[in-house]
Amino acid sequence: MAGLIEVKDLKKEYKMGKISVHALNGVDIDIQAGDFVAIMGPSGSGKSTLMHILGCLDSPTKGQYTLNKEEVSNMRKGKLASIRNKEIGFVFQTFNLLPHLNVQKNVELPLMYGGFSKKKRTAMARKVLNEVGLGDRLKHKPSELSGGQRQRVAIARAIVNNPAIILADEPTGNLDTNSGNDILSIFSELHAKGNTIIIVTHDPAVAKRANKIINIVDGLIQDGDIT
Amino acid sequence: MAISLKESLIVGFSDFWSRKIRSLVTIVGIVLGTMSIIVVLSLVKGINKQTMAWMMERGGLSKISVYRNWNYDNPLKLRDFFTWKELSLIRSLVPEAKYFNPQERQWTRFSYKGEEYRSSVYGVLPDFTKIEEWDADKGRFISEFDVNQSNDVIVIGSEIKKELFGNKDPIGEFITVHGRRLQVIGIMRHRFMENKGNIGNDNGLAYLNRRAFVPLTTMIHKGTGEDNIGSFIVKAQNAESAPDLREHLEAIILNLRRGEPVFLVESAQEEAEQMAKNQQTFQMVFFMISIISLLVGGIVIANIMLATIQERTREIGIRITVGARRRDIFIQFLVQTVLVTFIGGILGVVVGLSILDIVSKFINIDLIAGIEMIFIALAVSAGVGFFSGIIPAIVASKLNPVEALRYE
Repeated sequence: MAGLIEVKDLKKEYKMGKISVHALNGVDIDIQAGDFVAIMGPSGSGKSTLMHILGCLDSPTKGQYTLNKEEVSNMRKGKLASIRNKEIGFVFQTFNLLPHLNVQKNVELPLMYGGFSKKKRTAMARKVLNEVGLGDRLKHKPSELSGGQRQRVAIARAIVNNPAIILADEPTGNLDTNSGNDILSIFSELHAKGNTIIIVTHDPAVAKRANKIINIVDGLIQDGDIT
Repeated sequence: MAISLKESLIVGFSDFWSRKIRSLVTIVGIVLGTMSIIVVLSLVKGINKQTMAWMMERGGLSKISVYRNWNYDNPLKLRDFFTWKELSLIRSLVPEAKYFNPQERQWTRFSYKGEEYRSSVYGVLPDFTKIEEWDADKGRFISEFDVNQSNDVIVIGSEIKKELFGNKDPIGEFITVHGRRLQVIGIMRHRFMENKGNIGNDNGLAYLNRRAFVPLTTMIHKGTGEDNIGSFIVKAQNAESAPDLREHLEAIILNLRRGEPVFLVESAQEEAEQMAKNQQTFQMVFFMISIISLLVGGIVIANIMLATIQERTREIGIRITVGARRRDIFIQFLVQTVLVTFIGGILGVVVGLSILDIVSKFINIDLIAGIEMIFIALAVSAGVGFFSGIIPAIVASKLNPVEALRYE
């Protein structure tokens, strides 16, 4: 069975003045549909760079990245935007909601760029907001919500388009333990429903939920799978 | 599928609306620029119209004037006036001229039964009424017969009539001019400037009402006794043929004076053309000034937009993350700028029209902004918005999403 994500010999180099920094030094990853993967590593290990490349926000210097049997590494920017829109849902440590838009509008954002009609957008956004338990907060601004609620809005935004993968970067990093556990439970539920989830973290408690752990140090994968 | 243009417009507009104060401040510069375009163009146009109206009042564009060239110092001591005989010759050489009227002016004193009035008397021919489009409206004007007989008759302006006769009917009365008794045969139609008049409330044509007219021959043979006529006026068949007639006349007169420019021959048509040219320059200069003020406004807007974009770097990163393409971001910011300037443009037109109204009352000239001026003003302001919006929009659309998301 072909993997959902196949990464071969992925390299990423940054030029900082005259010095070039190797953020990724030849990474191979294989992720199947339905996996719950934790990417772990200390800061500066290259895990964020890896996530940005997996999320099509950045492109590798060398190597191959196949998402859903499509070669992504040398795609045009317009096509990448469309992949980010349809195939990937992002959840960030700092939530990254638009402060001047209400909850519903924030969740509708990917649908708007996806070209859905207003009526359809409203219905889809309400449906996922109900799923994350925020059906009664549609018209609230992000500033009127708690951290856990904001992250649930972000999750709703990530899943509203029914993407192939959900990418989360330290989703519990800014939350207290209780809210963090609530958020992780949502990810577990999504996993149980068959979604593919990739979480970047350095928190072992988060990694425990995953069925696959990728350790990355100095731009290299350290050891194999832990099931 | 990506975001539609309509959605981009909606996003751009709601951005504009959620930053009302900044948008309004930005608009002010554009309002001022657009306003000055409207005011300046209308002002120049209004003054043009006024000048043309004045020229038409003075006898229209087919008029050609011949008079002494005071810039020529006449070293050969050539005769710097025309004799009655010379004028008759000139008249016969320009059969294409429709009307012909030499006139000689004399500063004098009119007296009637102890009343006195100082003003000018003109010796003229009957064609005067056709050339100046001005006739007696009581009694009659000077006739061919009066000229042939050098009759002792006079036609007076309304002001002279008022000063010497008050409410009395002067027709048939005798007034004394230079010790000679002349019979009043007519009163000229009262002249005043239509379309409100000149700057201020004075009648721009009042000086005409202070004139009196006698047959040219009467003036030559019985008045001054001198056969020297300083100037004359000819009227062409129409304005188009006036420049040709002017050239013909100039050639004849140069011939009579050994090719020396003792006299100037001027066509109102050419004068008007020259005036129009001058006004165009005038208009161009003011238009440029308005454009420059708009450009300054545009630079201010570009600057504010760049600051806005920096402030919103993170937002742009988020939008890119959820699938916004470069084009979507570009349009979002361009729409905001164009919207700001377009609204500024409309406000500028409204303010400009109101100011025009006030200025119009103040200087007493009808100032009407043409539709074309409103279009020019709006087009220029939207153009400025477009060009000042393009660079910030490009900057926004080229942001690297990874860095944008990291931006604090």
